[in-house]
Amino acid sequence: MPTFAIVILVLFSAALAGVLVVRPAITVSRAGKILAFGVLFFLPLFSIVAGMENEMQRSESTAFCLSCHIMEPYGKSLHIDDPAYLAGAHYQNHRVPAEEACYTCHTDYAMFGTIEAKLGGLRHIYIYYLGKPPQPENIKLYKPFNNRECLHCHLGARSFEQGATHNADPATLPAIKANTLSCVSSGCHDTVHNVGRWGDKVKFWDGGS
Amino acid sequence: MGRRLRLAGILVITGLLVEALCLVWSKPIAFVVLVCIGGALIGLGVLFFLYSLVSGASHTADTSKAALDK
Repeated sequence: MPTFAIVILVLFSAALAGVLVVRPAITVSRAGKILAFGVLFFLPLFSIVAGMENEMQRSESTAFCLSCHIMEPYGKSLHIDDPAYLAGAHYQNHRVPAEEACYTCHTDYAMFGTIEAKLGGLRHIYIYYLGKPPQPENIKLYKPFNNRECLHCHLGARSFEQGATHNADPATLPAIKANTLSCVSSGCHDTVHNVGRWGDKVKFWDGGS
Repeated sequence: MGRRLRLAGILVITGLLVEALCLVWSKPIAFVVLVCIGGALIGLGVLFFLYSLVSGASHTADTSKAALDK
C-alpha cells in the first residue's frame, strides 16, 4: 500500500474520530454504534498495522540506510568508479536491486534473517541517538560475512562455478561453498566499502540514484 | 459513556496524527516514534473504547435489572 494512501486513510480515520469526539451522542443509535466501532476500533488498528508494514518496507531501502549521517561514506562507496570495489560493482551493475542494496547483502538469508536485521536496526538507532556511534571507518560487522549471502545469488552461476580463480585449486570451490574460505578474505574479493582507505586516486561514477 | 468515548477518540486522533507525521518523516527514528508513541496512543484509545462499551453495557444491564425488580 503506497505511503500517501496510508496517510490519507489515517487522516480520514482521524477526521471520523473527530466527529465522534465532538458529537458522542450519535453513538446512541444502532448506526452510530457501528460507526463508533469502525472508527475507534477497526480503522485505527488497520491504520497502525498498515503504517508499521509501510515503515518495515521503507527500512529495507538504500535511502533509509543512508539517511543516517554516519552511513554517508558507505553510500558514497556505492558510486566508486572501480570494479574492484565489490559493493560499488554490485550496486552500479544492478547485481543487487539498487533500491535495496544495503539490505540485500547485509541480511542473512536464513529463517530469522529479516527479524535479526530489524532488531539490529533498532540497536543502530539506539546507539545513534543514545549511545556513542563510532566513526564510519571504524564500523565493523557484528559477525564475519557469511558466504551464504553471496551464494544466494552466485551459487550455480557459470561465472562462479567455472571461474578460473575458483577452480585453480580443486579445494577452493568446496571451501567457499562450505563457508570455510570467505569470499571477502584477503586476496579474494577483499575490497568492499573500504571507507577511510580510498586515497586520492579513487573516482566516482555520477550515475544511478 | 460519553466522557470515556471522548477520551478514547482524543487518544486515537492523537495516535493517528503521530502516525501520519511519522509516515511523511523519512528518518530511522520515525519507526520507533510510530510504534512507541503512535501505537501506544492508538492502543490506549482502542482499549478505552472497549472499556466504555463494556462499562456501558453493564450499566444498562444494572438499570434494566433494577427496573424489573421494581
